[in-house]
Amino acid sequence: MHPKPTRRQWIAGSAGAALLSGCRTNSPPAAPAVPHQVSIVRAPAYDQSLYDSVRRILAGHRLDVRGRSVVLKPNLVEFEPESSINTHPLLVHAAREAFLAAGAASVRIAEGPGHRRNTLDLADAAGYFRTIPKFEDLFVDLNLDDVTHVRFPAQLSGLEKVYLSNTALGADLLVSMPKMKTHHLVGATLSMKNLFGTVPGAIYGWPKNALHWAGIADCIADLHTVYPRQFAIVDAIVGMDGNGPIQGDPKPVGIVVTGDDPLAVDATCCRVMGIDPFRIAYLRLAAADLGRLAEQGILQTGETIAAVATPFRLIPEFQGLRLAP
Amino acid sequence: MKAGVPEAGAVPRQPCHPMSLDALIGRQNPDGGWPYSRGGSWTEPTVYAIMALLSAGETASAQRGVAWLGSIARRDGGWPPRAGVDMSTWVTGLVALLGPRIVGAAPYGRAIHWLLDTTGEESTFAYRLREWLLGNNTSENDAKFPGWPWVPSNAGWVVPTSIAILALDKEERRQPSTGVHHRIDAGRHFLLGRACDEGGWNYGSSHPLGYPSLAYPETTGLALAALRGVRSPQVGRALVAAQRFFAECRSADALNWLRFGLRVHGKLPAGYCTPSGVEFRTIPETSLDLVMTAAEQGRDFFWG
Repeated sequence: MHPKPTRRQWIAGSAGAALLSGCRTNSPPAAPAVPHQVSIVRAPAYDQSLYDSVRRILAGHRLDVRGRSVVLKPNLVEFEPESSINTHPLLVHAAREAFLAAGAASVRIAEGPGHRRNTLDLADAAGYFRTIPKFEDLFVDLNLDDVTHVRFPAQLSGLEKVYLSNTALGADLLVSMPKMKTHHLVGATLSMKNLFGTVPGAIYGWPKNALHWAGIADCIADLHTVYPRQFAIVDAIVGMDGNGPIQGDPKPVGIVVTGDDPLAVDATCCRVMGIDPFRIAYLRLAAADLGRLAEQGILQTGETIAAVATPFRLIPEFQGLRLAP
Repeated sequence: MKAGVPEAGAVPRQPCHPMSLDALIGRQNPDGGWPYSRGGSWTEPTVYAIMALLSAGETASAQRGVAWLGSIARRDGGWPPRAGVDMSTWVTGLVALLGPRIVGAAPYGRAIHWLLDTTGEESTFAYRLREWLLGNNTSENDAKFPGWPWVPSNAGWVVPTSIAILALDKEERRQPSTGVHHRIDAGRHFLLGRACDEGGWNYGSSHPLGYPSLAYPETTGLALAALRGVRSPQVGRALVAAQRFFAECRSADALNWLRFGLRVHGKLPAGYCTPSGVEFRTIPETSLDLVMTAAEQGRDFFWG
């Protein structure tokens, strides 16, 4: 598998791109014609109140999932149940109950961790078996799932085609449920980066190193284009800052961030974390229209960003990502 | 690094949990391969299932598995992770572990050549030249001690390197050659260079981006197996870590590899019995448990 020069590399090699880049930096991007809704809801703890909160969140987004197959994609990383590394199982269970209550025909849970191969053991350690009845029957290990070879529509990375999990591809609605975390390679890991878990480890290995060689930011942006029906529910009740996404520290924020446009959701999360979304490479790449990242281009509901802003500690290499005061 | 005779580690025991060969045979797909747990056939679980069946003297089902493997071999000498995937990957080392009598002399020979021709991208001249032209630092050890990647054109990692070493070690004992010996030795140096400070192995670097990484039970067990007979401070620390993991861990996958690693260094507790509460959920977990049990009773597929 030899990565080809990417569109970004070609563009970056031209003087015109430099000019274009300068324009982007200096001109405020125009807001999209139809702004996407992103809601911020306070959730101070992982407790029973989450069930009602998530139901109200889905109702607020007017999601019609009646008769649809829904796949919830949490972020499972490490065997550390006491840390803030994995998406909390109570939030995942609350989401499952809410989607079922909204009329979904099926709500499965699926994940393909990037480091640990024994996914069910990892889920067990993270509390999923204890929290979610019949978890094993509901769960699909995306690392070991049947696959389809898919061409990336936008061709942003060096990977012309990629094998992806059939469970993720076949979902009527793919719900990305990441933990709000810093990331030592791309700055922040949120709903878009979480989709790396749909790339099967049984083909690409643990970690999915092919995505690193093809450009992590480019691959995040490419993956985003493969799944047209997405929703994001970000677990920011307790996030992770510092040297995330594995060795960082718990960071209580006390919110859940949701929306049907992962770009808008991730941009909002960045602002909550004190990160400038325009400085996150994969968000810039994925946003053909940078207005989708602009604050005025997002229909913000629930809490305001200012009310919940919780600056995350960043490793020295990423101090340049900070939002201007 | 000094290679020597391994200490005796086999511990005869009776099976102490109800893992059945019939259940394994019952999970075989109509095409002859095995899934990881459900769905289509994959190379990795099929190899482990074949090992488990042959270790127990069950040939009919194993032969159908071997036939399926033969049907998906690639022209470059390698194996894909499953039928229809258009690249050979690290699973080629697993197939080679089955040996020429099972795989067939010609396909086996091509698999060994594929392994000898495959290195982590960081060890290649082209990559190092590009990094040099860009003014980036590269490690001399990367060039001297190449490992194996999960898929070609990617970096070397602990798991595929360990599996390749195990396959080449078996080949070297069958038919000694300088080229094979050299790659085994280099691969072992690759592993020793990536040992974590606390002992044991993560999946890759011991200090990604300058931060120390934590060891994992499964990778520590597998890497220890690949370092059979090696005496070094890293192996000593890893054995201590492996024994700690072994006492605490309840993952079937991790316990399988820890049993393997501890046994080949003569450190598996006598009369070992799988702890209660360990769930064998996948075909590789089930199969490797059977393979390790047979090895502890003297029928060792990896070294036999």
